Amino acid sequence: MKALSIAATGMLAQQNNVDVISNNIANANTTGFKSARAAFQDLIYENVSREGALTSDQGTIAPTGVDIGLGVQTSGTVRLNTQGGFLSTENKLDVAVDGQGYFVVNTPDGGRAYTRDGAFQLSAEGQLVTMQGYEVDPGIVVPENTKAIEINEQGVVMAYVESDPNPVELGQLSLATFINDGGLRPMGNNLLEGTAASGDATTANPGDPGFGIVRQGYLENSNVNIIQQITDLISAQRAYEMNSKTIETADQMMSTANRVR
Amino acid sequence: MEANSYISLSLAAAARRDLEVTANNIANANTAGFKGERVAFEAYLLPNAGGPDTEFVIDAGSYVDTRQGGLVRTGNPLDIALNGDGWLSYRTPEGQIAYGRDGQLSLSADGILQTQSGAEVLDSGGGTITLPPGITDLKISPEGTISSEAGELGQIGMFDVPAIQSFERLGAGMFAPPPGAPDDTQPAQSTELVQGSIEASNVHPVAEVTRLMEVQKSYERATKLIENEDKLVREALRRIGRMG
Repeated sequence: MKALSIAATGMLAQQNNVDVISNNIANANTTGFKSARAAFQDLIYENVSREGALTSDQGTIAPTGVDIGLGVQTSGTVRLNTQGGFLSTENKLDVAVDGQGYFVVNTPDGGRAYTRDGAFQLSAEGQLVTMQGYEVDPGIVVPENTKAIEINEQGVVMAYVESDPNPVELGQLSLATFINDGGLRPMGNNLLEGTAASGDATTANPGDPGFGIVRQGYLENSNVNIIQQITDLISAQRAYEMNSKTIETADQMMSTANRVR
Repeated sequence: MEANSYISLSLAAAARRDLEVTANNIANANTAGFKGERVAFEAYLLPNAGGPDTEFVIDAGSYVDTRQGGLVRTGNPLDIALNGDGWLSYRTPEGQIAYGRDGQLSLSADGILQTQSGAEVLDSGGGTITLPPGITDLKISPEGTISSEAGELGQIGMFDVPAIQSFERLGAGMFAPPPGAPDDTQPAQSTELVQGSIEASNVHPVAEVTRLMEVQKSYERATKLIENEDKLVREALRRIGRMG
């Protein structure tokens, strides 16, 4: 009975679907999170009889063959890279990207990671870091006795130190874009890493052509659409049930065959 | 030799084939661009000397249900759906030309437009489509023309494939012409491309589950007939034995 294994692939695919949906729902309030969707494709087909096979000596051919599909598989998870909404936090170190691009982060193992989460903090040494304490690239150090920090749309970080009315320029945040940002691999902690599929990062300053601008005092909300996720969850559950119905039917047919005497 | 049991057996075999095809349809109820499959049964006539001909069931072929699937809005600029009878054209990683309706596209690291399984999407001339980096405002028109603020970038090919029923199913939503078949595909006449949507599977869940029940019933009927035939023969043998 092929039907049993076909239905099993269907249940497995729907399980993946529910996993992806539940992760979206769990991250509905995660800063900079991008909603994902499981993409499915049919498995290969067993050509029981071939299209175009000869049906007579006169050269007539079968217009159709018998193709038995072997089920379904998850071909990938597609990240929906649309802009999330802005959340005003009034925190001077919170920045959101309006448009394309990712902040660049140096990971402790010496690698590069990319993120849309601009909830930055200062380390004990005044270094601009992410929530995990990873250094934001290029490194920006805020001097002691800083009264206020301003970050403009081009990502230039300025500090007002002590009573000096003129700000000190500390550096400029950079943004990275990718040809295929769907190919970035999520590492958790709101970080993504470059892969062979994403292509190399193109780094530039915010506001350059093709790059977004930086908004101080805002965070980018996740772009998860909860209503969409709940309806997807319902349809995934029903599809799962239907596949189990197929298994039941196949099982009962086998049992019928066993009872023949 | 009595053929009755074998006629019933042909029905049971046909029901099993139908179950497999239905199972595959159900498994792909959430596969974007998927087209359902149906089995076509035929009677196979066996001439019977001195009596009515015996008819067996055979599965002569399976055909593709090419009806339009519903359009589901995703908002992803690289998701496209076709509205109409046309097909997208792909080149598989093995270099084979195939047709399908799965429009969940992405870009390769070199900017080539491709499907999730890595098949390249072709333009109306059969060439691949490469998008430059740094596009922020990607628009795809109903005619398939891709443009951005940098101007026109290419056109996604849409084709009418009259002989789709004779095509071989490759999986991953793709149909390939059988080897040696003449190429009769033409630019699509009345197909519209919708950006930001995907075409849902055209499998009707209720119809498929009803089909499952139907298949099960005909399988039970077939085995019942075999059992009855067996009983009949045994009864006949018992009576003949008593006469002797």
